[in-house]
Amino acid sequence: MNVEHNPQDWEDFEAAARRSIEQHVRNSFIKTYRPVLDDAAYRSFDTMEEYRRWCKHNLPAWLGYNRD
Amino acid sequence: MATFEFRNAQEIGRICGQYGVKYLFFGKSGAILLGYSDTTQDVDLYVEKQTANCAKLVGALVELGFRLSEEEQQEIRRGKDFIQLRNGPFDLDLIFAPDGIERFDDAWNRRVEKHGFPVANIDDIVGSKQAANRQKDKESLPRLLSFREWLRKNQ
Repeated sequence: MNVEHNPQDWEDFEAAARRSIEQHVRNSFIKTYRPVLDDAAYRSFDTMEEYRRWCKHNLPAWLGYNRD
Repeated sequence: MATFEFRNAQEIGRICGQYGVKYLFFGKSGAILLGYSDTTQDVDLYVEKQTANCAKLVGALVELGFRLSEEEQQEIRRGKDFIQLRNGPFDLDLIFAPDGIERFDDAWNRRVEKHGFPVANIDDIVGSKQAANRQKDKESLPRLLSFREWLRKNQ
């Protein structure tokens, strides 16, 4: 199967296009608690490398922010 | 914290417009505004990292309802590459140097105006995820590539 033409995906995209943008956004943004990541009100990083390093050393691997 | 709704996107557009902030909806949240169906938690904005633009951004963030200390406001004005905000009406990631994109102006020139907002081109959203190459990007890329192809056929 061509990964860029997955019929199931395309059905989903067509269904989404039939919804109002308000409903589409409501369906798309789902809030769940992510340990560590959501525990600070503000974080900043001077460089993306610093941010990636912080993710690697601080976030649980299952969150998927690691590159390994 | 409330979940992000379309009216929040409209607020971003209205207030950033008032302050003259140069930004793009980016990442999965940008793709969602282009029509992509998937789920996410945060809004990603790619913001031009010019001193004047960062100063305007601070004013817009405060008006949007983000509670920033004076020190945090100074940091944003000075310029960072990545800022994560969980102190406002919705979760917001500010990205000033996304993987895979050399210059803001390049992405700006390729942007799409959708629902009245500036949204990064799907090629830039896909390219940045490919360059970031995190586990979560690897997992989401096949569906995002499928969406890009669908978008090309349906624009």
